[in-house]
Amino acid sequence: MQRRQFLKGALYGTGGTLVALSGLGAATTALNPRRVAAAVPVSRKTVYSSCEMCRNQCPIAVKVENGKVVKIDGNPNDSAFGGVICARGNSGPSLLYDPERIKKPMIRTGERGSGKFKEVSWDEAYTYIAQKLKAVQEQYGGEAVAQTSHIGPYDAFFQTIGKAIGSPNLFSHEATCPMARIIGLNTTFGTAAINADYANTKYLLVVGRNFFEGIHVAQTRAVAKALSQGTKMVVLDPRFSVLAAKGEWLPIKGTTDLAFMMALANVLIDEKLYDEEFIKQYTVGFDKWAAQVKDKTPAWAAKETGISQDTIIRVARELAQAKPHSLIEYGWRTTFTADDFQLRRAIMIVNMMLGNFEVPGGYYQVKDAGSLKKVPAMAAYAKKLGPIKAPSFPKPKKGRIDGTGEKGTPRQLTPIADGAVGQITETILTGKPYPIKAWLVHRFNPVMSIGDTEKTLAAIKRLDLLVTCDLYMSDTAYYSDVVLPECTYLERTEQVFDMSGLTPKYVLRQQAVDPVYPDTKPAWQIYKELGEKMGYGQYFPYKDIDDYVERQLAPTGISRKVFAKKGLWTPAGMKPFYVRSSDAKASLTLLATKSKKIEIFSDAVQEATGDGVPVYVQYPQPGEGEFRLIEGKVAVHTNVGTHNVPVLHELMPENTLWINAKSAAKLGLKTGDAIVISAGKYEHKGTANVTEGIRPDTVFCYHGFGQISPQLTRAFGKGINDNKLIPDQLGLVGNSITSMTFVKVRKA
Amino acid sequence: MEQETAEELYLSFAGIFQRPRPDIARHLEELIDLWAQEIPSSEKVIGELRDFCRAFPAGEARENALWGEYIPLFETGHVEAPPYASVYLDGEGLVLGREAEEVRNFYLSSGYGLGSEQGELPDHLGVELEFLALLAGTGSWDAAQSFRQKHLLPFLRVILPKIRATERPVYSQAAELLTSWQLGQC
Ligand code: SF4
Repeated sequence: MQRRQFLKGALYGTGGTLVALSGLGAATTALNPRRVAAAVPVSRKTVYSSCEMCRNQCPIAVKVENGKVVKIDGNPNDSAFGGVICARGNSGPSLLYDPERIKKPMIRTGERGSGKFKEVSWDEAYTYIAQKLKAVQEQYGGEAVAQTSHIGPYDAFFQTIGKAIGSPNLFSHEATCPMARIIGLNTTFGTAAINADYANTKYLLVVGRNFFEGIHVAQTRAVAKALSQGTKMVVLDPRFSVLAAKGEWLPIKGTTDLAFMMALANVLIDEKLYDEEFIKQYTVGFDKWAAQVKDKTPAWAAKETGISQDTIIRVARELAQAKPHSLIEYGWRTTFTADDFQLRRAIMIVNMMLGNFEVPGGYYQVKDAGSLKKVPAMAAYAKKLGPIKAPSFPKPKKGRIDGTGEKGTPRQLTPIADGAVGQITETILTGKPYPIKAWLVHRFNPVMSIGDTEKTLAAIKRLDLLVTCDLYMSDTAYYSDVVLPECTYLERTEQVFDMSGLTPKYVLRQQAVDPVYPDTKPAWQIYKELGEKMGYGQYFPYKDIDDYVERQLAPTGISRKVFAKKGLWTPAGMKPFYVRSSDAKASLTLLATKSKKIEIFSDAVQEATGDGVPVYVQYPQPGEGEFRLIEGKVAVHTNVGTHNVPVLHELMPENTLWINAKSAAKLGLKTGDAIVISAGKYEHKGTANVTEGIRPDTVFCYHGFGQISPQLTRAFGKGINDNKLIPDQLGLVGNSITSMTFVKVRKA
Repeated sequence: MEQETAEELYLSFAGIFQRPRPDIARHLEELIDLWAQEIPSSEKVIGELRDFCRAFPAGEARENALWGEYIPLFETGHVEAPPYASVYLDGEGLVLGREAEEVRNFYLSSGYGLGSEQGELPDHLGVELEFLALLAGTGSWDAAQSFRQKHLLPFLRVILPKIRATERPVYSQAAELLTSWQLGQC
C-alpha cells in the first residue's frame, strides 16, 4: 500500500506528465491551453522568418501543418533570393526534430571530457554559472572572463553579460573567417558595408572563393545569373573548385595572390588601361601604390604565382576592356597569410583602378538607413531602427588580451567587436598578459574552429568555468561545465535585423512553431534571465522579445504586421540606385573615411604596420615531399555546425584528402587508400582522393569533419579534422591563418 | 493481473524510463521489490539491480549515476536508444512524426493531455507507460488494450532490445523486465 502511494504521488498530480482533460484519471493540474490548441489539428499556415542553418540568414517561408514544420521555402517576397534556399536551408526540419538535440540545461558530474552530465533546471544552471563567475570576478577581475560567439542576433544579449561584468574580452568568430576582408574595406572605404553587384558584372575574377559550395543564396544566384548571361569568369585557386569548373581555372601557388594583384596593377598602369579620372577624383595615395607595383611585372609575378606572364597580361587587359563593369571578388574566407588584409586592400585598389565603384556590375556601398540620410534625394527612405536604451556598461579595467585597438600596432586595425579569437587559448595556457579563467561560448565551437584542437583542449582543462550554449552536444559543449540548450531558429522570434543592399531592408526572424523540446529557450531569454540572476537586470530593460521589437520599430513607423504578412520591409517606391550610374562624376557622399576619399594609401594602416599601401611579402612554399594543406566549404554543410544534422550528414558524412594524380603516383596512392597526414606535431588518418583538380604541391580537404565529441553520434570521428593539423597561428591583425600548414602524406 | 498491480507496474516503469528524479531514485529499492514480486524473472537481473543500489546508496551519487546512464542512453548527443516512438516507427529517425501525433490524439480522445511542467513529447516511452497506468488505474481496459496493441507494443519491440544491448545499469535490467512482462520473453 505504501509503495503504491509513493508511485502515485510521484507520477500523478503535479509530478506527472499527463494531465486530465475532463476529470478522468487522478491528475489534478489543468491542461495548459496552449498545449490543447497544439494538440488539436489546426489549419496550414506560412510563417515568414529567416534561416539560420548558416550565418547568412536568408529570408524564408516556413510551411506549418498542425503545428509541425513540413517544409521550408525561400521567402518569395524577397526578389534578391527569388524564393530559393540552399540544401542546408531545406534541412531545417531535420534539425528541428532531431532526437540528438540538447533538451535541458546540464551540469557536468564527471571529469571534464568524460561526457558525464546531469540535467538541471534553468534556475539551477543560472545559479551555478552566476556563482562561478562571481568567484572568478572576485579573484581575478571581470577581465578574466572571455566570451565567444559565432556572430548573430544573439550577440545583443550574450555580449551584454560580458560587458556588464566589465570584461573587454568579447570575441566573434570573424578572425577565423572574413575579418581580413572587413579590415581591408574599413581601411580603404571607412566601412565594411560594401557589396558587389555580381549579377550585372561582365567579367569576374575570383580569388579563392567558391560561390557554388560556400553558398550565399543571393550572391550565388547573382553569379549564376551573370554566367548564364555570358560573363567571363576567371578563378584563382590551387584547387579546381566547383566554381573554377564554370570558368577559367588558374591554379595559383598558395599565398601568392597578392603578387598576381600587383602585376595586374602594373599592367594597367604600364598600358594606361586604368580609369585615371576615377583615381584622380575619388582616391588618395595612388602614386605610392604605383611606386610599389612598378617592379611587380607580369614576368616577376609569373615566377611567384606559377601563372604565365601572358595569362596575367591577358587577364589585366580583359578586366580593363570590360571596365567599369568588371569585378575582382574581394573574398570571404579564412586568411591565406599573416598580412591577408593587405591582399584584400590590393584587390579593392585594383577594382578602383577599374573605376567600378557605384556602378552596375561593380561594387557599391550598402544603402542602409544610416547611409541614405547622407543622400538628400533619398533621405526620406531612411528609417532608422530605435535604440534599446540601457545604462552604460562599466569601463573594463584592463585592455584586451589580444591587443585589439592598441595604437601603433597592427591590432589597432582589428575590429573591437571581433578581436583575435585565436588568442584565447594561448592566454589561458600562458596567463599572459593576464589570466583568463572563465569562458562563455554561444553557438561557436572553438575546439574545432580555433587552430590546434589539442591546444584548445589543454586550455579548456585550465579553466574554472566553461559554459556552452548550443543546439547539439558540440565538441566544445562536451568539454563544458554547463551546457545550455538553445531552441532552434524555427522556434524563436528575434530582433529586427538589417539586410540592406541597394535599398534598405529589414528582416524579422519569427517563431514558426512551439519549441519541440519545451525546456529549450531562445538566446534573448537565456541571457536576460542569467543577467537578472547576476544582478544585471538593468542592462536588459525590455520585457521580452516582442517588447524589444516594438522599441526597434517605434520610431520607424513600420508596423509589425508588415513582417507577419511579408517577412521583410523595404521602402515602398524606392528604386535600387548606384551613385554613379548616370553621373560618372557624382560625389561619393557616403564614403566614411577621414579624407572622404577612397584611401589607396591609408594613414591608419601606415600607423599600424608601416605599410600604408600593400607591400608584397614572400611566404615559404612546400619543400620536396611536402604539401600545402588547404581547406574549404562544401555546399551541404556549414563550418563545423551541421555535420550531425541527420539529412545533411546523409548527404555528406565524410571528407577525403584531395591529392594530385602525379603526387599520388609518387607515393603509390590511389583513390580510396587509407592514408596518414602528418603536420609534424600531429597526425591524422584519412582517405585519399586522387585527382587532376589540384596543384601537385597542394592537398585539400573540406572543413568541419572528424568531430571529436562522441555525443555527435553521426559526425563523430568521420573524416579528417583539418583543425587538428592546422596550428593556432595568428596574423598581423589577429587573423587565423589556415593556408600555411605543410603536411606530408603516407599510406596508412 | 489485478488492476492495482498493473497500474503499479506501468507506473514503476514510467518512473524509471522518464528522466531521473530524486524521488524515484530514492525509492528504487521499492521498485525492485515490486518487480521481483510481480514479474517472473531471473535472479541475475534482480541481483544486478540490487547491486546497483548497494554501490550507489540513495542520494546525490545515485542520482548522478542514473544521469550518467540516462543522458547517453536517451537524451543528448550519442543517443543510444532515442525514447521517442516516432524515431523508430515513422522511418525518418526524427521526433514528432505521425506516431507522436496519433499517440497525442489517443490521449486526447481518452481525456488526457500533456502537462506543461514536464515538457515531454507525447510518444516518450515513459509517457506512454504513464498513460497506460492512468488507464489501468481507472479500469479503462478496452482503451488500454487498444493503445497497447496499436502503439506501445510496436514501440517496445524496437526500443527494448536496444536498451538491453547497451548493458547500462538499471536501464538494461528494467528493459529486460519490461520485455518479460509486456512481450512475454526474456
Ligand atoms: S545560405 Fe542556405 S543555409 Fe545559409 S541562410 Fe541561406 S538558405 Fe540558410
